[in-house]
Amino acid sequence: CGGQGWGGERRLPCVASLPICPTGAVNCQVSLRDLFDRAVILSHYIHNLSSEMFNEFDKRYAQGRGFITKAINSCHTSSLSTPEDKEQAQQIHHEDLLNLILRVLRSWNDPLYHLVTEVRGMQEAPDSILSRAIEIEEQNRRLLEGMEKIVGQVHPGVRENEVYSVWSGLPSLQMADEDTRLFAFYNLLHCLRRDSHKIDNYLKLLKCRIVYDSNC
Amino acid sequence: MRTWRTMSEPWRKCFRMLLAESLTNRLDKGIGGGATPAILGRASQSLQRVNPGPGTNPSGKPQFTKCRSPELETFSCHWTEGVHHGVKNPGSIQLFYIRRSTQEWTQEWKECPDYVSAGENSCYFNSSYTSIWIPYCIKLTSNGDTVDQKCFSVEEIVQPDPPIGLNWTLLNISLTGIHADIQVRWEPPPNADVQKGWIVLEYELQYKEVNESQWKMMDPVLSTSVPVYSLRLDKEYEVRVRSRQRNSEKYGEFSEVLYVALPQMSPFACEEDFQFPWFLIIIFGIFGLTMILFLFIFSKQQRIKMLILPPVPVPKIKGIDSDLLKEGKLEEVNTILAIHDNYKPEFYNDDSWVEFIELDIDDPDEKTEGSDTDRLLSNDHEKSLNILGAKDDDSGRTSCYEPDILETDFNASDVCDGTSEVAQPQRLKGEIDLLCLDQKNQSNSPSTDTAPNTQQPGVILAKENKPRPLLISGTESTHQAAHPQLSNPSSLANIDFYAQVSDITPAGSVVLSPGQKNKAGIAPCDMPPEVVSLCQANFIMDNAYFCEADAKKCITVAPHVEAESRGEPSFNQEDIYITTESLTTVAGQPGTAERAPSSEIPVPDYTSIHIVQSPRGLVLNATALPLPDKEFLSSCGYVSTDQLNKILP
Repeated sequence: CGGQGWGGERRLPCVASLPICPTGAVNCQVSLRDLFDRAVILSHYIHNLSSEMFNEFDKRYAQGRGFITKAINSCHTSSLSTPEDKEQAQQIHHEDLLNLILRVLRSWNDPLYHLVTEVRGMQEAPDSILSRAIEIEEQNRRLLEGMEKIVGQVHPGVRENEVYSVWSGLPSLQMADEDTRLFAFYNLLHCLRRDSHKIDNYLKLLKCRIVYDSNC
Repeated sequence: MRTWRTMSEPWRKCFRMLLAESLTNRLDKGIGGGATPAILGRASQSLQRVNPGPGTNPSGKPQFTKCRSPELETFSCHWTEGVHHGVKNPGSIQLFYIRRSTQEWTQEWKECPDYVSAGENSCYFNSSYTSIWIPYCIKLTSNGDTVDQKCFSVEEIVQPDPPIGLNWTLLNISLTGIHADIQVRWEPPPNADVQKGWIVLEYELQYKEVNESQWKMMDPVLSTSVPVYSLRLDKEYEVRVRSRQRNSEKYGEFSEVLYVALPQMSPFACEEDFQFPWFLIIIFGIFGLTMILFLFIFSKQQRIKMLILPPVPVPKIKGIDSDLLKEGKLEEVNTILAIHDNYKPEFYNDDSWVEFIELDIDDPDEKTEGSDTDRLLSNDHEKSLNILGAKDDDSGRTSCYEPDILETDFNASDVCDGTSEVAQPQRLKGEIDLLCLDQKNQSNSPSTDTAPNTQQPGVILAKENKPRPLLISGTESTHQAAHPQLSNPSSLANIDFYAQVSDITPAGSVVLSPGQKNKAGIAPCDMPPEVVSLCQANFIMDNAYFCEADAKKCITVAPHVEAESRGEPSFNQEDIYITTESLTTVAGQPGTAERAPSSEIPVPDYTSIHIVQSPRGLVLNATALPLPDKEFLSSCGYVSTDQLNKILP
């Protein structure tokens, strides 16, 4: 597991090899390092899936439609003020960054759920896109749980109100007009790819900072 | 080459539309994959090119070639100047960019902050101008006219710098001295901040021999060192590494080529690789095949064939053609076998080898039968035949002298003719009663075996009332006798469990000699005067049994023997079997013993099997009557225990 496949496809991450608490254990404490390792694996995996899904969709549906000529997609998570370059990311405190990550992840719960539903309803819904959508939705939930555990270890006690961006793109996903609907999908997948890359980067940064003391 | 100006108007329109489509696609795929803002919609139509190939600019318009970010912190864009047509000032190319920030497009296009740092025809955006995950759009203008545009996000255009600091170390050399393994190490590109984890890189190593043209690729690795196996020591190699961001698809540039000069091979090393010795194998193969061929040819010759494959003797019966047996001509076979039997007499002659049978039976009635039955019947037919009376000759004839044979060789039997009497010793005596009855019921002609009958001395075990020399008449005349014999069972005795086959009819049916217990004690047979009379005339050859008295009268034995024999009370009269003790007591009396051979020592019909030794050996319980220095003949396969003891140390 892990690494590249022969054909360039990504393999499933080696999540199973990481130690986990046996079910029912009360005082089990997985180390922070393992939690971060697992989180990074998950975020990397999600980003791979998103990229592949976007490319697949682009190849199948967006060719010749001129989506690229349309307005720049605006993602619903843009309202969250996330660091946009390395300096900003380094300056932000890791607790805040963790909370930001949580917010982004939570913001994607709803869209991912609807994405799966709507992709299923697409005409000739390609299995590659659908399966990846399902997988991303599940992994996103797991990553969210993992992040909450990490936050519980790094920053215990403080429980932030669940802030997240609301996604309102469902109506456009269900439009009758095929062009509009496809563009809505394109937009959503593009945003997903971008946000998954963002999360992945943040987590790798945090891992190096917290676990390896900025010396990866 | 066509230029724009030379094309006619309709063609221009047609091209515009086509190119607008293809150009936007090309921009998306080839450069960054970003999305164009709506304001650029008009601009796309102004992009007019003939044959827009990547890198080619036949129409002379400047266009973007590549935008890349090496470390996710800065980025730069490059373009090409087109061929200049005419007098336009080539230096008026400008780049403008716009980026979406805080959810709004700032409507102004800003000019490139740095035209210099990235080289000619480039624009460099340092880290302050770079925002990740933010869409950018850039446009190229020439004299105020937009000539090219594209949109992208910085994380999509990451192409790292090549690794630096390649070096290699020798890991080991193979035992053959031909191959070696090396470890190649390098450093990540200096501007990539892998230490803080901002960017994660993976590397791909390629190597080849110096004079080869094709690079061998290894799988991407995340670490900065990788082993390379199985390099030949007498060759020189080149190694290069390139890197990419872990989730991307595009690699950066290759590093500088590392030159690997392995130490020379030692002179003792094998000079050539092991090559499969086809030549030798072919030679030896042909040689082996030739040898086999010769052997085969020679084996055709009889002599060698005999040498190599000596013939195995086929079982044969002298005088009997195997075809006869195959054809199933039983009569002929029988006659032949009978002829054979005639040879038997000198074999047996006077030697009275009596089968001494010891019977160790507690429960006379059922035990013996059951156990013996089990023993006998559990064996193979073949075995029993062998055990009970393995023939010396290879005739399939079962001798009637083996009283216990239940399954005789039916096919070859006929044996109960006169010669069979010779082998009487084994006779287990049947029931006096029956015989006596038979005497009375003699219906058939006396067989010619009377005379030889008298010669039978010690055929019989000294069973008191029982013993009878069993004379099995093989003639068919006995058959009729046998049946009536069998038909008179009731009054006298039970029919024993065992029945001796006295003969086999040509038809294949078995004629059983009656074996009956002597329950009535002394049979009425014991009528000496009758005996005497009977002996002469109707000697019962048709039935197989003789009364003791009957036999005795034919044998020159003093009647007192008979009386004496009867006078031995210890015998169990009811039992056809004689216990060891009882017999030994007989044996203990030398006189009796002396007489025993001469008198008809009754041989019981049946022998109980004492020991089953092997598939081919049975030790029968036999009386320990000593044979006076006589070598017993084991033609019928009976060996008494005593005899055995004599033989064996």
